[in-house]
Amino acid sequence: MAVQSDSGGKDDVKTQFVTREGTYRLMTLSEYSRPNRVGYTSGSGSSHVRVSLVSLPPGPGGGAPGSDGQGSDDRICFNHGKELYVYVYRGVKKGMSLYYTLPRQAADLTKPVDKKMYKGTNPTCHDFNTVTMTPDSVSLVIGFSTGQIQLIDPIKKELSKLYNEERLIDKTRVTCIKWVPGSSNLFITAHASGQLYVYNEELTCGTTAPHYQLFKQGDGYSIHTCRTKSTRNPLYRWLIGAEGSCINEFAFSPCGTNLAVVSQDGFLRVFHYDTMELIGRARSYFGGFLCVCWSPDGKYVVVGGEDDLVTVWSFSERRVVARGQGHRSWVSVVAFDPYVVSFSEPESEEGVEDDRQKSETVQCYRLGSVSQDTQLCLWDLTEDVLKPPVRARASAHLSPNSQTFSPNGVPGMKAPAPKGAKTNKIGHKHAELSGSNAAGEPSGTKQTKAKVNNVSTLNISVGKAKEETSGSLGVNSLTQRLAGFSFGERRSEHRRNFSLTSKPAEQKSSASISVALRGKSAGASTTESYDPLKLIGTASCPRFDECPVLEPLVCKKVAHERLTALLFRAEYLLTACADGCVNTWARPARALNGDARAPRRLDRIDLVD
Amino acid sequence: MSICQDLGLNFQHRMGANISQLERDIGSEQFPPNEHYFGLVNFGNTCYSNSVLQALYFCRPFREKVLEYKAKNKRTKETLLTCLADLFYSIATQKKKVGSIAPKKFIARLRKEKEEFDNYMQQDAHEFLNFLINHINEIILAERNQSTLKVQKNASGENVTCNGTAPQNAEPTWVHEIFQGTLTSETRCLNCETVSSKDEHFFDLQVDVGQNTSITHCLKCFSDTETLCNDNKFKCDNCSSYQEAQKRMRVKKLPLILALHLKRFKYMEQYNRHIKVSHRVVFPLELRLFNTHFPLQSDDAVNPDRLYDLVAVVVHCGSGPNRGHYISIVKSHGFWLLFDDDMVDKIDASAIEDFYGLTSDIQKSSETGYILFYQSRDASC
Repeated sequence: MAVQSDSGGKDDVKTQFVTREGTYRLMTLSEYSRPNRVGYTSGSGSSHVRVSLVSLPPGPGGGAPGSDGQGSDDRICFNHGKELYVYVYRGVKKGMSLYYTLPRQAADLTKPVDKKMYKGTNPTCHDFNTVTMTPDSVSLVIGFSTGQIQLIDPIKKELSKLYNEERLIDKTRVTCIKWVPGSSNLFITAHASGQLYVYNEELTCGTTAPHYQLFKQGDGYSIHTCRTKSTRNPLYRWLIGAEGSCINEFAFSPCGTNLAVVSQDGFLRVFHYDTMELIGRARSYFGGFLCVCWSPDGKYVVVGGEDDLVTVWSFSERRVVARGQGHRSWVSVVAFDPYVVSFSEPESEEGVEDDRQKSETVQCYRLGSVSQDTQLCLWDLTEDVLKPPVRARASAHLSPNSQTFSPNGVPGMKAPAPKGAKTNKIGHKHAELSGSNAAGEPSGTKQTKAKVNNVSTLNISVGKAKEETSGSLGVNSLTQRLAGFSFGERRSEHRRNFSLTSKPAEQKSSASISVALRGKSAGASTTESYDPLKLIGTASCPRFDECPVLEPLVCKKVAHERLTALLFRAEYLLTACADGCVNTWARPARALNGDARAPRRLDRIDLVD
Repeated sequence: MSICQDLGLNFQHRMGANISQLERDIGSEQFPPNEHYFGLVNFGNTCYSNSVLQALYFCRPFREKVLEYKAKNKRTKETLLTCLADLFYSIATQKKKVGSIAPKKFIARLRKEKEEFDNYMQQDAHEFLNFLINHINEIILAERNQSTLKVQKNASGENVTCNGTAPQNAEPTWVHEIFQGTLTSETRCLNCETVSSKDEHFFDLQVDVGQNTSITHCLKCFSDTETLCNDNKFKCDNCSSYQEAQKRMRVKKLPLILALHLKRFKYMEQYNRHIKVSHRVVFPLELRLFNTHFPLQSDDAVNPDRLYDLVAVVVHCGSGPNRGHYISIVKSHGFWLLFDDDMVDKIDASAIEDFYGLTSDIQKSSETGYILFYQSRDASC
């Protein structure tokens, strides 16, 4: 006896949806789940199914071991309840021109590359190491609901190490786990206790609870190291926000320099990872922030949360620039689609005579989000929304030095982005890892280098970092174009910094900003400057009508259960939902014709503010 | 229908084991001073009352006003309000920190006051809440009128600014101050384009629930533009006739405590009875309302950015309106407690998600949030 809801909750699950670049279609044969899944079950309560995908480097003999002649170098890992599966992922084969010729056979779910079933604990998150992977081996770190961490090689199956095995380091659920970008042995875990830990997979954890000593402290966070003679795990403990305020996710910027952390206390905090400085933050309209991602060029951080909103925060301006409203429930994953980015050369800009467009290109980011409402939303973030209002430009000269500007009242803010240091730093990381003492503390000397303001280096490294992290999925040409583009836009970036100061023209907002700034200058820490009642109306949390509101380009129900994962790849996108079902959506046929670039320059008309 | 479990047998046992467990769970150092966690004994399906009373007790502004009333009104004739005040006072002045108490006098008075509650049937917790709030308010108004009548006989201070359901005195009562908000409905006649607006007061908002939604979304739907047509046309004063019109609602004044009733009991014609809608509706610990102003209009809303904290939830357990059980979860001094009649347990905040509802319609029975109490953070309590 099903209760029919009249509120649209029983909408049909869509198997395709249309955007202006064409039709995205569900690959029904490319559905991954646990084998012998019988129909529809929802017994597993809060099953946060997550998906990790890796593209192994092609081996000498073609198909990698374990591929069973399915001829793909991609591996997919997902968790469901007590189980964890690794399969050969076929996705959408390259070289096929039309979607319906693609899967000749359904994914063989009876032959996983690896399968784990755990007792008394559930896997909650996982990540492949793309630095150390070879055609026939890959390291996979897995976090568990009871706080432990496991390192396995699902292909070779020899490796299995445990960290925090006795739960002496943290007893709470691992909420997010990721390898440090470019690192062969460092990974970071986030816990429901509100702490991040940096582990070195080569080190052991010790037999007693670690004793910590304060290493660094800032507004609303502190970082500790272990007080031991020999270096052991965890290398660092980051305590972020109020005690016990669950960290829900973290994400490294594409260049690997900055770390964005979102918590149940409703804050996004962006840190410079090596210097451990807090360089920006944003507050949700209400409720916790649940997910976070970076734009492919590192200019924007997008967060989703319990306010049902998608919130866009500008890294350079340190302010919330837009909010997206379209989901009917909490936003569980946000992700940029780096393959649908459009930009136009200045000369090709037709019809629009706005003077600010003469010298710069128009850009449009594509963002995706999935929610507990079982819907997938796609958003276009266009320049006209992301840009600060034109009137603000008049006062640009008032603030010649953008580095001193701190809109969020974050004390001790460093240079916005230690741009020049990037290439340096990756090299440094490698060095630090190969050395026996991997604790390698973030040294002060690096910071000074970090202040070199060399924009072009940044752009190159963006492309490079992307290359390293995303495997060889043929993205580089685009990312490089994007990176090159942002180089060209350097001047406008400066302008944005200025305009922020004078942006909220309403008196009440500037008043509240000055409150925040006063808090900063007084060095008043934590509680005061994190009070959401004081932050409303500031750059960290504008009032709802003070901030452009975006509507989704596409908003479709694509699952029966709440959605928990979203990944974009050159030829497909991937969703997963709480019942453990992973779906692949082929991009429009047009985009599959060997050209993963943006289909065409997008119009900029359908954004609503 | 389950007359709530073999009371007599379990009761002593629970008293002994469970309650000291609660103190252990909280820890003696952490146990908030001047706070008491007392379960309420069930008198045969009175969990609808117990759950609401607990929720209200932990709405601090309400509790304080009730205790204040108790202090001011030593010797008055028994009303439901004096019974409530006695009950709250009795909890607040217990020597022990935890235990259980029998709300005997209150239940007896309730059964006298309202016929519908004068039986051993399961009742709707929201109906009870609605009755209780309105009834208390009327008692206060009546007592006030009595005292003012003595002073000045012909006070002409009646106001008719808004046609709310509750009788309005110029001066709001403390019940108004705590629970009352104002809704504005704006109707635009599609014939003459005249816009008329009307204010309505509310003590709680009743929202329809959708599958896999959030309370935020349900509240947003509540103020969606609605077209009045066909049988439901709008009587336009300007056109002096029934016309098609568009109607939209917003919250003009936000209350101190926002009580949200999830309409989980739907009448189904084919079954000729009410059916429970167990849809999964998530509710955050912190809430702001989106529908506090109309776009492109001068904003006269009072405190439109009010930030609310979830302080209590009345949970319905079971498969239908006339069966099952009510419990409540409340926040007190930073931690969460579950009140199940005479039992009190400390729960983890993460356990709240167990009360969002079900994503499938296969299972019939569910434990779902039914009434949510959000308290404004600027209420300094």
